[in-house]
Amino acid sequence: MNEEHKIVQHVYAAKEDIQAADRLIGTYMPFIKMETAKFLKRPPIEGHDDELSIAMIAFHEAIGGYSRTRGAFLKYAAMLIRNRLIDYSRREQRHSRVISLDAPAGEDDITLGDTLADERDPYEETSVRDATRAEIEELTRQMQEFGVSLSDVADNCPKQQRTLDACRKALQYAKENPELLDVLLQTKKLPIGQLTAGSGVERKTLERHRKYMVALLLIYTNGYEIIRGHLKQVMKGVAAR
Amino acid sequence: MSYLVMECHPGYAVLLDEEGRFLKAANLRYEIGQTVYDPVLMKDTPEKQRHTIRWISSGIAAIAACFLLLFGFSYYQNYMRPYSSIYLTINPEVRMDLNRQGTVVELTGTNEDGETLLEGYDGKGKDKVTVVDELLDRAIEMGFLSDGGRVSFSVDSPDETLFQEYGTELRTKVTEHLDGRITITIEIVDYKNGQSQEEPESSSSPNSSQTDTSQPESVSPSPPESSQPAVIPPTSSSTTDYNDTDYGPNNDGVTDYTPPASSTPPVDTDYGSGSDGVTDYTDGNTDYDPSNDSDDDSDNDGDSGYDGDDNDGDDADDD
Repeated sequence: MNEEHKIVQHVYAAKEDIQAADRLIGTYMPFIKMETAKFLKRPPIEGHDDELSIAMIAFHEAIGGYSRTRGAFLKYAAMLIRNRLIDYSRREQRHSRVISLDAPAGEDDITLGDTLADERDPYEETSVRDATRAEIEELTRQMQEFGVSLSDVADNCPKQQRTLDACRKALQYAKENPELLDVLLQTKKLPIGQLTAGSGVERKTLERHRKYMVALLLIYTNGYEIIRGHLKQVMKGVAAR
Repeated sequence: MSYLVMECHPGYAVLLDEEGRFLKAANLRYEIGQTVYDPVLMKDTPEKQRHTIRWISSGIAAIAACFLLLFGFSYYQNYMRPYSSIYLTINPEVRMDLNRQGTVVELTGTNEDGETLLEGYDGKGKDKVTVVDELLDRAIEMGFLSDGGRVSFSVDSPDETLFQEYGTELRTKVTEHLDGRITITIEIVDYKNGQSQEEPESSSSPNSSQTDTSQPESVSPSPPESSQPAVIPPTSSSTTDYNDTDYGPNNDGVTDYTPPASSTPPVDTDYGSGSDGVTDYTDGNTDYDPSNDSDDDSDNDGDSGYDGDDNDGDDADDD
């Protein structure tokens, strides 16, 4: 009873704080492993079994979705983990007839993947990845000045297509008026009033997705070419409208 | 759709899709900056909207359940629950339980013949008049009821008006039903106080074969102002008093214990209801005393007071 109460407190703390959530997942890693083992009928290998990752995100989901009215947290988490693992196994079933690249090819100690011609350039790929990482780390650092983390943005991200389009519209307006981006950088405040007036998007929509807008606008300030390249779709969608 | 890995946590990774959405997904050994194609996205936590939908739907369900319960209850009250009963007595006795609408909900034979009469008959859900008609047909078929027979309906209803209504309805409808086939005597009795219902009209068919003068009470129209059949004092000994009974449901409340005055002269008795309050003990006209009047028992003049074959109770005229 008392133990359960402590967990509930931890879970409620983890809802607010990302670090606390990570710590909680670390603390309950044996539990997550146990639930995964129940599903796999064998102990999961960390860093190898996707199921363990699925179980971990299910646990994370449980932290977000838990409320005191839903009963004991661990039972709820166990249920969620089991459901997500079942979902995952069903999803993966369509690949069941596909041969794994890791399957041995011939008598030698090489896998099927090794026999394929490698079209990708691993060196270039690594350098691109490093550049991307540098960009992302810079973005994360800049966002921290605004008191926003990427996890927050992910939680704050619009889920409806309509809302997403509205946010894009506001972004488009800001792109056309670069002084707004300067205002953002200088004041560390989102110029919601100007965005609303200029783009015609409802103020409430922008206020609700303030963190998301900050991230999006920051990406369209200087730098972040790689991320912007990845986001080519965003502007395409608005242009088509 | 490709996703850019933005942030990695032990439990999850933050991905950015091509449309500008930031998403949480299972961290399948991702690294920041990696581009992935088939992530396992985290499902949305239940939104508040879902709750309102659930609230609304559960509310609607609750209201619907309430209505069902209410309607079910009123339906039961109206159609299923026995509200009144009619005891049909020919010789077979049958109890019919009726609901508020006058429809039969249960039929029970209360004696053996009644059970025989009901064998293989299902009257549930039919109107009481239909059931009564069909039961009478069956009774005729089985030989329980023949011409000149007698059918008694004992109505057990919670209020008087219903009794009157049912009684009238049964009488008229049954008469109509049997009209021209056989003639029977119909009797409507209140089950609770044994009072028979007044007959608003003659139950006999117009051929008047049944209006026998020997049964004036049961078939002739009664004066409508009395709820009991009027007592017609027998004027001649030829009239039978079969129906003028003081017992059972036909009790008219008037006892006919005192025989008609014309049959025998009143007796001068000092006992019972005939006592005239005059005792004859001290009139001196005794045969036991020393002051016995000279006329002895040797020549019994019938004035002894013992044998009263011609004793008119007035001894004084002998003195």
